[in-house]
Amino acid sequence: MSGGSQYVVAAYAVIWFLVLAYVVVLGARTARVGRQVEAITRMLDRREGREGDDGGGGAD
Amino acid sequence: MPGERAALIWGVVATILVVVSTIGVFLVAPEDADQGVIQRIFYFHVAIAIASLVAFAVSCVAGILYLRTRSARWDDVGEASIRIGLLFSVLVVITGSIWAKASWGTWWVWTDPRLVTYLIVVLIYAAYFVLRSSAEDDRRMRYSAIYAIAGFASVPLSFYSVRVAESFVHPVVFTGSGANMPGSMLIWFVVSQAAMIALFIALLEVDLVGRRSERALRRLALRLENA
Repeated sequence: MSGGSQYVVAAYAVIWFLVLAYVVVLGARTARVGRQVEAITRMLDRREGREGDDGGGGAD
Repeated sequence: MPGERAALIWGVVATILVVVSTIGVFLVAPEDADQGVIQRIFYFHVAIAIASLVAFAVSCVAGILYLRTRSARWDDVGEASIRIGLLFSVLVVITGSIWAKASWGTWWVWTDPRLVTYLIVVLIYAAYFVLRSSAEDDRRMRYSAIYAIAGFASVPLSFYSVRVAESFVHPVVFTGSGANMPGSMLIWFVVSQAAMIALFIALLEVDLVGRRSERALRRLALRLENA
């Protein structure tokens, strides 16, 4: 590369790398929220299962 | 959800504009007769700088709206805007230093008012996060809003410094009489600027969707624990 094109490549590489890194961080947060949704869903399922068992026992 | 839809739409718009502007800057825009290929840094460097100032302006408006309404939504908008503005500012400083090395032979010029005042703006907004971490809940939101409004006073200082300074090395492209560049370059700068503004809005929308989801999840988890 000549005529300063390496500087242009470096500048644009920095821009896209940092923007991409920021998007990855946002994506990681979204994934964490997704995991929390799954945990709450599991908690709800367990609770509903327990309430179902209790209700069934009471009817007998 | 409308927030998710807006994030998706702005993400698509930003991606299209970024691709079009990159193609235009590298393949269509003419090479500058004076600086040659290194002038191509200008398109994104200046566009990101203006987008960062827009982000700080948004945080200032969000701060005013928070103080008037006390709605946490405006605190979210303010913090997310400053975070994105700070990311853009870091990009401006790095790309500016690379351009300075290529053009002036040095990474930084401490005697140039534009460079130094812009660095001061970056440091002022970096301190915003130190302030945020030092307070809790309503007090944190109130302090943050006041700081975002006060911090915005540094933006015109940076913008006008180069115009009132007697000696500087940083070029001024946009003056009161218009842009000092041919139309064939200006069109690609306008597209790059639109791309960076769209990128800011897209990142802001994605950030806000994430914050809303986290807040809703916390409320739900609390209700489940208490039930």
